[in-house]
Amino acid sequence: MKIPFSCLKKHVALAETPTEIANHLVRLGHEVEAVELPRAAVKGVRVGLIESKIPHPDADKLSLLTVNIGENEPLAIVCGAMNMGEGDKVPVATIGTSLPNGMKIKKGKIRGEVSCGMCCSEAELGLAEDAAGLLILPADAPVGAEVGEFLELEEAVFDLSITPNRGDCMNVRGLARDLAADAGLALADIDLAEVTVDATLAAPKVTVSAEQDCPLYMARSIAGVTVSDSPAWMQAGLIMAGMRPVNGIVDVLNFIMLDLGQPMHAFDADKLSGDISIRSALGGENFAALDGRELTLNAGDLLVFDDSSVIALAGIMGSQPSGVSDGTINIILESAFFRQARVSETRRIYAMVSEASMRFERGVDPLMVEIAMQRATAMITNLFGGSAGAITVCGEPGNINSGRQVRCSVSHLESRLGIDIPEAMDDVLARMGFGISRKGDDLQIDVPSFRHDVSIPEDISEEYARVIGFDAIPELLPPLATTAPVQKDTAIHDAVTGGFLQVVSYAFISTSEQRLFVAGDGADIELANPISDAMRVMRRSVWPGLLNTAKHNLNRQQAGVALVEQGRVYQKTEAGHEENNVIAWLMTGEAQTDEWFAAVRQADFFDLKGAVEAWLALRGLTGRFIADDAIQGLQAGQSAKILIGRVEAGRIGRVDGDIAAALDMDAPVFVAEIDLDALPEGKKAKFAPLPEFPGVERDLVFLFDKDTSSDAILNAVKSAAGKLLTDARVFDLYAGKGVPEGKISLGIRFTLQDAKRTLTQEDSDTASNAIIGAMEKRFAAGLRG
Amino acid sequence: MADIDAMIEQLDVILKAAVDAFAAAGDREALQQLRVRYLGKKGALTEVLKGVGKLSPEDRPVIGQHVNRTKAALAESLEQREIELAEKAKTARIEAEKADITLPGRKKTGGALHPVQLGLDEITAVFAQMGFVVAEGPEIEDEFHNFDALNIPPEHPARAMHDTFFLKDLQTNDEQPMLLRTHTSPVQIRAMKRFLAEGGEPPLAVVAPGRVYRCDYDVTHSPMFHQVEVFKVDRKVSMAHLKGVLKHFLSTYFEKDVAIRLRPHYFPFTEPSAEVDIGCVFCAGKGCRICKGSGWIEVLGSGMIHPNVLKSVGIDAQEFSGFAFGLGVERLVMLKQGIPDLRLFFENDVRFLRRMGASR
Ligand SMILES: [Zn+2]
Repeated sequence: MKIPFSCLKKHVALAETPTEIANHLVRLGHEVEAVELPRAAVKGVRVGLIESKIPHPDADKLSLLTVNIGENEPLAIVCGAMNMGEGDKVPVATIGTSLPNGMKIKKGKIRGEVSCGMCCSEAELGLAEDAAGLLILPADAPVGAEVGEFLELEEAVFDLSITPNRGDCMNVRGLARDLAADAGLALADIDLAEVTVDATLAAPKVTVSAEQDCPLYMARSIAGVTVSDSPAWMQAGLIMAGMRPVNGIVDVLNFIMLDLGQPMHAFDADKLSGDISIRSALGGENFAALDGRELTLNAGDLLVFDDSSVIALAGIMGSQPSGVSDGTINIILESAFFRQARVSETRRIYAMVSEASMRFERGVDPLMVEIAMQRATAMITNLFGGSAGAITVCGEPGNINSGRQVRCSVSHLESRLGIDIPEAMDDVLARMGFGISRKGDDLQIDVPSFRHDVSIPEDISEEYARVIGFDAIPELLPPLATTAPVQKDTAIHDAVTGGFLQVVSYAFISTSEQRLFVAGDGADIELANPISDAMRVMRRSVWPGLLNTAKHNLNRQQAGVALVEQGRVYQKTEAGHEENNVIAWLMTGEAQTDEWFAAVRQADFFDLKGAVEAWLALRGLTGRFIADDAIQGLQAGQSAKILIGRVEAGRIGRVDGDIAAALDMDAPVFVAEIDLDALPEGKKAKFAPLPEFPGVERDLVFLFDKDTSSDAILNAVKSAAGKLLTDARVFDLYAGKGVPEGKISLGIRFTLQDAKRTLTQEDSDTASNAIIGAMEKRFAAGLRG
Repeated sequence: MADIDAMIEQLDVILKAAVDAFAAAGDREALQQLRVRYLGKKGALTEVLKGVGKLSPEDRPVIGQHVNRTKAALAESLEQREIELAEKAKTARIEAEKADITLPGRKKTGGALHPVQLGLDEITAVFAQMGFVVAEGPEIEDEFHNFDALNIPPEHPARAMHDTFFLKDLQTNDEQPMLLRTHTSPVQIRAMKRFLAEGGEPPLAVVAPGRVYRCDYDVTHSPMFHQVEVFKVDRKVSMAHLKGVLKHFLSTYFEKDVAIRLRPHYFPFTEPSAEVDIGCVFCAGKGCRICKGSGWIEVLGSGMIHPNVLKSVGIDAQEFSGFAFGLGVERLVMLKQGIPDLRLFFENDVRFLRRMGASR
């Protein structure tokens, strides 16, 4: 909300600078986004007296003026406007001036005649949206003076962000009240001109049947107005406050709303048929809103009707046909109190926000309803003529939001704030409209009708804290609780030790990305209001996000990436839904770059498998990798499920070539994912004495059939070798020259050790023979000759 | 009788020849052969000694002395040469093994934690050290925990400001719509309920990090970001405690004594509520582009827990009070690390991650 400084000063005699006032506003809880000087650009526009006016010799629509701007010589100016004459005073933009619309004034010739400046309209000065001719200044304007100074144009405008609890401050007077109370200044009375009631004019007939939602409704007729534009100062004020001037009547109502906070509405009386009634919609009524939308209304909406149609969605917007236009002669003015919750709900249903709805929703002052109407009446009749009838009043202003009292103890508030509350602060709250009585420790506080946000002791504590100043509250450390140290989740910390970079990607992906690795959309959780198709469903796998990140980086000259992400995956279940913690890896491209000590090497399955195994080992776990050709999105023959004990806790493999190709990823891509919630507790390290006697290491090389699983071979070695075996592993794998077609040469290195003695040749021969026998029997594999 | 003088002369010749031979020996093997030749059982000196028997008894000791002296001289010369050769060999080896130490070391490609993770870790650690217990909550929430229990009823204007993502075809058992939590504040409700259900009684101090979602996507907004919710409930918890904890946390996190400023604000779940500013960390409060010349930077929202929130979980708001605040992790990390653009966090450019993440 934007508030011109001059408007504030009409309510309270503020002597400080705009910056100082801004600081006070911030301290009181009204966030100042900016202090603007919107019309600082009008410097160089001066009051000019037209001394002569003759037609341009070569152009019918132009005039040649000589204009006195207080210099020795009058200026020759070519002007296209029609509404000025000799002796008029007009704003003259001198050479070098920049106007708010961006135009820069230069000396020039127009149709052969020299022009040394430009006479300006209200629009050109940024005072109005448009204008028919020049702005004619009052006769007492001093010739040569800066127009900006004369019209007091150059002023600060506060751009405020009013919090939703402070409906009472969505207007100039509310803010002035806070500032005045804080500064110990008086709040000026509201300027109310007498309204002479025309007794011959009938008061509108109004029936309110929805008293709950509309406890107060006032209406009055004003007959015989001549609608024209509102005066320049009002238009300028509205523009500075960020509103568009519409027509004289609407501008007056908007201006009063900005000033006093009471939204009002004017109907064209001649477009209404019959009496006014305020009632709840039955549902199905049609409404042609002022903003051009056609709505079908829901039961319960609060509506203003005439005899034939809906003329307003109460507190939000009037209807198009019943609105005031330039040709309107008779109007019916509405000023009312509509209940916050009702306006809020209707506004949400139709997504229809208006300046009025914002104020009703946050709560207006029931005692301002009539004052605003009187002020509007006076302004309208003064500016546009006409006579006003008596006010029809439905409801009792004094019954609304009144008589509310908060009782509490000073010591309670002090204990919550951590500071003393001096009695002098009661005066500040009193100036803010609270009725305060303090008896010893007991406080009894009457809440004013405009403070919808205050109802409990904590609200009062905030009021005191605001006026004392949050800065006055000391900084104290509370007594610290001693709690048991919490086991830190180190999953991601362990995962980045092996050269992986942690990434964070969005939890929502596109439906097509979802389908890459998870079949069936029945368990997808879809956003009702996604930002885009690319962010439509909650991910059920982290892989799509990792793939996108990898692609993003490969597109930026990265030769290889190793990524890891910890996050949640989400899906529907029979019981509802679940979100699970997972950790996922991706590797592609160069695992080893070309270096002086090593040749380039592309990442393969075993780089990633090793990383996953190392990560599991850090958690005291060992995984079994079981080949699985049916994992969606992974390439058969290079994919496996990962078992921890008997639990299937993850998957690993090479991304299907078509998927990678679709992303223009040339090198093989490897991914793994482990469900953190499924992981069992790992083994804790346990002490064992170091061996005293040396072990024996032996190598055996066999020829196996090509598809034999090394896992099965090693398992067979382990069960054949006997109790002395401490380790068995593959140390060599070879196929090719010297090895028959369909066979592989596999070297097995095993270690034997005994805690009580040094082993003999016999021991290792026994174990070797047992292994050789087992390989022969189980795999028909013989030693490689 | 043999001529003693001739023998002495012979010894001198041997010595001279040996010394020359030692000097000419190029390596230890050659030297070893010379040792045998001159000092061995069948060596040159032994040969000379064989003639001693032919000398007169009085000459024998004389020649004995000469032989011993020659022997000692030979041994010394040999040893000298051995040392020389060893040094020469060492020098040659060193030369042969010389490396270009300006070549780069073998890379141990370090991984890195994401800067947001580092922020979460650092923030959580400060509170954990102060005795706050770490808690988490679901990201898929219901309206009750995300709004109602936090004193934000459906018609409340603040609810509209949350830009909530709702989820299709997902409801609670009592048919409330489900949504993605818009803040970590629901963890307040869940943690307090759990704590009370387990028979606990305040004090309760919790730090709750997590992901949150808002339907808002532009240069300065990400639809997913991270928050940390911090709250404490106890007897006589005051706003001064809130300020004390904020001051301690912000100074620890920014690794300097930062000034804090609280401004009255409005949040439905706290009363009083305050926006918290810190003295600009870029210009030390003098005013710069980042702080828009004000010298202050808004970092988080805070307040005293609204009694309605305490009541919604069954805590007596007369007896107990609490403070709460929620901070945006990305924002704090950006301020601390001087990262200019929120989008960098979710773009995951590995060059950014390597530079900003702590290497492991
Ligand atoms: Zn700064």
